[in-house]
Formats: sequence, C-alpha cells, structure tokens
Amino acid sequence: MPGLAPLLLGDGRLPVGAYTYSAGLEPAVAAGLTRDRIPALLRARLRTAAVTEAAAAVLALRAAGQDLVDYGPVQRALAARTPAAPLREASAALGRGVHRLARRLAPDRPAVTALSAVRPRPLRPVTLGALGAVLNVSEEDLAHAVVYDELQTITSAALKLLPGDPLDTVAWVLAAEPDATAAAHEALAVRTPAELPARTAPLTEEWALQHARRERRLFLA
Amino acid sequence: MPDQQQPTQQPPTQQQPNQQQPGDHHDRPTGTPRALRLGVAGPVGTGKSSILATLCRELAGELAMAVVTNDIYTDEDARFLRSAGVLPTERIRAVETGACPHTAIRDDVSANLDAVEDLEEAYGPLDLVLVESGGDNLTATFSPALADAQLFCIDVAGGGDVARKGGPGITGADLLIVNKTDLAPYVEVDVAAMVADARSARGGLPVLALSRKDPGSVAELADWVRSVLARHRDGTHIPSDPGPMAPHSHAPSHAHSHAHSHDS
Ligand SMILES: Nc1nc2c(ncn2[C@@H]2O[C@H](COP(=O)(O)OP(=O)(O)OP(=O)(O)O)[C@@H](O)[C@H]2O)c(=O)[nH]1
Ligand SMILES: [Mg+2]
Repeated sequence: MPGLAPLLLGDGRLPVGAYTYSAGLEPAVAAGLTRDRIPALLRARLRTAAVTEAAAAVLALRAAGQDLVDYGPVQRALAARTPAAPLREASAALGRGVHRLARRLAPDRPAVTALSAVRPRPLRPVTLGALGAVLNVSEEDLAHAVVYDELQTITSAALKLLPGDPLDTVAWVLAAEPDATAAAHEALAVRTPAELPARTAPLTEEWALQHARRERRLFLA
Repeated sequence: MPDQQQPTQQPPTQQQPNQQQPGDHHDRPTGTPRALRLGVAGPVGTGKSSILATLCRELAGELAMAVVTNDIYTDEDARFLRSAGVLPTERIRAVETGACPHTAIRDDVSANLDAVEDLEEAYGPLDLVLVESGGDNLTATFSPALADAQLFCIDVAGGGDVARKGGPGITGADLLIVNKTDLAPYVEVDVAAMVADARSARGGLPVLALSRKDPGSVAELADWVRSVLARHRDGTHIPSDPGPMAPHSHAPSHAHSHAHSHDS
C-alpha cells in the first residue's frame, strides 16, 4: 500500500494555488487552439515541458536527501532551460504555494529550510522536490505526480477556456497515458542537473510572452 | 519539532514510514505587528471597488495602505482603482484567479497571500491592506487565513429582500454594508426596513447604510475601519470566519426563534 502521500501530491485540490495556472492552455487558446486539439496539446506538453519539470523535481528530491541540502544546481539548470521570463515567473509564483505548504508541514526540516536559501525564488519543480521529501514519496511517485499534474492542469483549465463535457477531459487524460509514462521514465533517467533536458518548445515560449502582455487573463500562464 | 533537526532522512527511493510530524506552527510571524488585512466581499456591482476607493481617499493620509484585487479577468478592478488616483498605482495589485474567485478567497488563498506578502515586503511596514473579492454570490466570504476582518457589501439596487435572504456574508461578516442608499427612492426600497432586517439576521454585528454621496456614512465607515485596526493592534480583535455556508439559524442571534428559521 503506497499510502496517501502520492495521492495528495497529485490532488488538484491541494491548496497551493495551482488553479491559477493553465500550463500554457490559455496562451495557446489565445493563439487559436481549438477544443479538438487539446489531446494534441497534451501530448506535446508531455514530450516537452513535462519532461523537464518532472526531471527537475526528481533532481530536487535527490538533493533534499543529501546531508547538506543544496538546491542551487537544479534551480540554475532549470532556470537556464526556461528562457521565457514569464514562464520562470509563473513557476516561481506556483512554487511559493508549494513552499508554503512544505513549511506548514515540516518547517524545520533541512529539505524545507534550504528552499529559503534559493535566490531568486525556487521554481515549482524545486519546491515539489522538497515537498516530496517532506511527504516521503518515491522518485517514481514524484515524477508521475508532476506529469499527471500537467495533464490535470490543462484539462481543468479547458473547462473554463474551451468548455464542453467535463467527462471528455478524463478520457483525454487516459488516452495520454502512454506518453505520460514515457515522460516520467525519461525524467527518472536524468542523473545530474547538467543532464537536465532543455525541452522548451518555441511556440510555448512565444505564446507565453504574448500572454504576459495581455490584460484580460484568467490564468498566470 | 523533536525529530526534524537532524538531516538523517533516508534516500527517498527507499519507502520509509512517514516520519513527519504534523506542524503546529502558524505561518504568520508571531509578535511582529503586520498590517490589518481587511476583506471586502459581496455580489457583483454592489460597490466594492468604490468602497476601496473611498477608504483609500479617507485613510491614505493617516495610514500606510495597499490594495489587492481579485477579478474574473485579472485586472479590471485594479485598473479602476489605479485610475481613481487614490493610491500610488504600484500599491494596487491584481491576482489571477483562474476563473475561481470564490476559491481564491477561501479554499485556496495562496495567490492572495503572495500578493499581500509582496506588498508588505515592498512597501512595508503597512497599516492596512484591503483585499477586494471578485464579485460573487451571497456565499462567498473570506477565509481567516487571508482576511483578519471582512466587510460584506450589498446594495439597495439588488432589492430590499437581500438582507433577509441571509447567507454567511450577510449574517457573519464583521460589518455589513447596505450600499447606494442614495438610490433607494428610485428602486422603491425602504432603507430603514432593509437595515432592520439585516440587524435582526446578525445578532448584534454592525450594519452600515452607506452612500458615497452621504459624507456622514462615509465617515462612519472610516471610523469603523480605524476601530478594527486599533483592536487588531492591541490584540483584542479575533478574526472570525462567517463560513462558506452558515445556515441562517446559526447566526449568533437571540432575536431568532425556530419559528422562522428557514434553513433546509
Ligand atoms: N448611486 C451610487 N452608485 C454607486 C455607489 N457606489 C458605487 N456605485 C456605482 O455602482 C457601480 C458598481 O460599483 P463598483 O464599485 O465597481 O462595484 P463592485 O462591487 O466593485 O463591482 P465588481 O467588482 O464588478 O463586482 C458603479 O457604477 C459605481 O459608480 C453609491 O454609493 N451610490
Ligand atoms: Mg470591483
């Protein structure tokens, strides 16, 4: 029995501000993405951003298990692979919510106190690694949770942005399972921050930059 | 926190029984005086942004203030307030609510806390941070994790019955405002009766009939905020939670008998 922690980590109701994020869907919709293309967007994200994010989270979880916790290398590697400033800012904003939760659960744990040393603010995958350490989840569970969260973020934002039958979104998530599993495996295979894959997609970045200049937004990014 | 100092955590791949202790710490730094966080909630268009503008106009001369807005679309309210010129524009922040304004002030206040903390860090020490909720329905109230005190705003244009309908904001907010009283003659609402309904639903909590055209009522509003701030500072103000769905009969009211409680 794996316990509740891995489920908690993947629960969209976790109060960490994730509902303010659409994982690129709102910018994509503004650029013309239609509802029938959401499954394709899910696959694209699983081959790009989700791999980098899950790998960074796993690296952070490993860093959290060291005697001297230092998130600097993974934070820098991830920031370097997130060239669009609005995406770094959104990631840092989401990371704050996760950091606040980790502080609430284990304020004195080195895995958590080390987050405060990260400048600028720790990106979301880094904080997820710390939270994973606090919850004592496995690398596999963490990688799957990050990948799953990517899917759920997009599909729940789709209910606001391209509304239709909510039951469709569950079918989309299940259909994406092979790509999700592949993304998690790829992430788990990354051993060092230097190996962190740079998977950002040019369109994702272009749309994110356009989104940041837009005034009427529902989502951070 | 007995066992959390030593960095003896096992490599996380080995599934260990959960070692973590439930933290009993509160996030808020204790002992450090921080700004009073005052939430302003109420249905769409009842005058929340106008109240924020009024409070800034009345109080910004004596208090260090900042504002956070929540809106369906990011920054409509923030833009209105910035253009009102009542506070330096950089002290007015808007947060994205992912089309969940209700969640943002109650179930998951992360984005709002971030905005409040950022403002305190950038312009602090502050005395008062006002947080406007996105216009929502009668059940949308602030969690005490975000707001130390809250006012709930309804208006005469919404009809004279609104106060009697109850709901957690109407029955339990620290202050209930019946706004736009200047419009009462045009919408055929009896303000005195509406206020009386509100009072009987609130078991002694204050009700204020407000119009921005009535300077006396504006002064009363500002005085109420000053008094809450004073109590916040001397530690006698205890944040209370109106709850998301307090049944009418749970209002802390003596005036109510079972005879006309109409819950369920
Ligand atoms: N007559 C009158 N109109 C008022 C008063 N206060 C606000 N209004 C008007 O009511 C309308 C809505 O006011 P807002 O302050 O934008 O209301 P709000 O609750 O912030 O609206 P949302 O943020 O959209 O929910 C505006 O046209 C205001 O000018 C008042 O005291 N008297
Ligand atoms: Mg408003």
